[in-house]
Amino acid sequence: MEFGIFTIGDVTSDPTDGTTVTENQRIKNTVEIAKKAEEVGLDVFSTGQHHNPPFVAPANPAVLLSNIAAQTEKLHLTTSTTLITTTDPVRIAEDYSYAQHLSDGRLSLMMGRGNTGPVYPWFGKDIRSGIPLAVENYNLLYRLWREKNLDWEGKFRTPLNGFTVTPWPLDDVPPFVWHGSIRSPEIAEQAAYYGDGFFHNNIFWPTSHTARMVQLYRQRYEYYGHGTASQAIVGLGGHIFMRKNSQDAVREFRPYFDNAPVYGHGPSLEDFSTQTPLTVGSPQQVIERTLSFRDWAGDYQRQLFLIDHAGIPHKTVLEQLDLLGEEVIPVLREEFAKNRPADVPEAPTHESLVLRHREGRDPIPGGGPGSRAFTDREQARAAEKSGADQA
Amino acid sequence: MTGQTMKVVAVTTSLSEDSTTLKLTDRILAGLTSVGESVGIEVATENINIRNLASALTDMTLTGFRSEQLETVFATVAEADAVVTVSPVYKVAPVGLHTLFWQLIDEKALANKPVLIASTGGTPRHSLAGEAALRPMLSYLKGIVVPTTVFAATDDWGSMEGGRALSARVRQAAEELVSLTSTIIGASRDDLAEVAEGSHSEPVSRRAGGATSGAVRGVDDEFDPDRITPFAQLLEG
Repeated sequence: MEFGIFTIGDVTSDPTDGTTVTENQRIKNTVEIAKKAEEVGLDVFSTGQHHNPPFVAPANPAVLLSNIAAQTEKLHLTTSTTLITTTDPVRIAEDYSYAQHLSDGRLSLMMGRGNTGPVYPWFGKDIRSGIPLAVENYNLLYRLWREKNLDWEGKFRTPLNGFTVTPWPLDDVPPFVWHGSIRSPEIAEQAAYYGDGFFHNNIFWPTSHTARMVQLYRQRYEYYGHGTASQAIVGLGGHIFMRKNSQDAVREFRPYFDNAPVYGHGPSLEDFSTQTPLTVGSPQQVIERTLSFRDWAGDYQRQLFLIDHAGIPHKTVLEQLDLLGEEVIPVLREEFAKNRPADVPEAPTHESLVLRHREGRDPIPGGGPGSRAFTDREQARAAEKSGADQA
Repeated sequence: MTGQTMKVVAVTTSLSEDSTTLKLTDRILAGLTSVGESVGIEVATENINIRNLASALTDMTLTGFRSEQLETVFATVAEADAVVTVSPVYKVAPVGLHTLFWQLIDEKALANKPVLIASTGGTPRHSLAGEAALRPMLSYLKGIVVPTTVFAATDDWGSMEGGRALSARVRQAAEELVSLTSTIIGASRDDLAEVAEGSHSEPVSRRAGGATSGAVRGVDDEFDPDRITPFAQLLEG
């Protein structure tokens, strides 16, 4: 199982002293956070994509991730998320392919739609087409990374004739793709259809809701014949703030919570901690809460924590990383490994994907022979044919 | 229609313990029960006070998700056969807390449900607030709002004449609600009866009983693997 952090790159004033870091400082801090993540033994660093204040997450995450790749050895780099709706799939294919080469395969992507209405028209798109854009654009991206001299025509982009992505993905194997969604069943379905991973950010929303999304994805993954439901590739977020003493954690975090963008000035810290997976307390409390995710999500592959938003000072974020590395992650690794069925796969790596590709075990979109989806299609076709014969 | 139960849920914003709004709710629910009796329908009533949901509604506005308490209340409304909404009028509109409830409940929450609008205010000048603000909102939620709305001003509680007029309006609105609701649930129960007889399944009387009418209405589960749109279909556009 992989453990890491994800950032949305917000530039928010620190409510305790009114100071705000500069964009330049926040960007440099982000690189330092990623390097520190590797240093303390985390596996994954993930960044969002943004085009508007108050965020300085990159408009093209491949730029930031390549910079971090150059300064790290093992850290796996990913996005949370790459905006598949408003970014040209051709540029996604080429930019991340390039970053995949630079990072020697330490790269994956998480697809997301983005939820900020004004962003869409800046790129000539319409938020009302969010789902159709995600569907068509990802289908194009999927093909761009697998078919050379591609001829393609769709609704949202100029056609392509004999187009080949440059550079071609490392070792003929595209980066692994996760699909992230908070509440759209279509996206869980999309992830299952392709045999890709499904990530739920698991913050700001009740567990009961997240559990249903994960279950839907698992069931459909099995339906499309990529494995059993328990073998589907699931990632979860988590929202934490720690101090050795839980009372200190609550006292220190409360002003950031009360004034945070998104949920600030609303529910109390206590209510929010009950209603959502937010955990503010000691490392032991974070360990217990995180281990409980398995009760409703099943054995999963990737756990990312949010630790750096709402104006929390950089120094504090680095201290959170120390606590994660020293006290939390080692225990989580050990505990999550216990009773984990042998047939539940680890999170895909470039090496495992290359092996899978060479052995001809790549997932077949929509389900190959032997899957229930395949059988259903055959039956539907047969029924249609006999209906036509009778007529 | 004899022997049936009709489940009516009142959604009331009563800001103090002994408010005139709550009094009006009680009058209307009693009116419904009495109209029901006269035509042999048992009316089961329940009142939900929005005041108790004030924080949960604000939180949902800010965070986008509903507390367990709200989830339960929304389900109660979804399972009702008919709904009564009662609120005080502030500045020519139902108090914001009350409209917020209807703004946050699911789309189509009132589909196929007769709805009765009632409100209270200081003077009769507020009497069209329910018509102007709530009727379109409840129609948007697919509710079938009965023609008569009930408005009670201070005069209605104080004078003999006002009291009599209010009683008459309550009676009129209650008759409209009960008669429309019994038509709708009666029809859907008969449909069920045919289906059940056709397939020789369990006795109709049990499945179509008042207690299960909410379950018959059903609540959409968009995360049900059997009900989602298959991806191939999404891909075709």
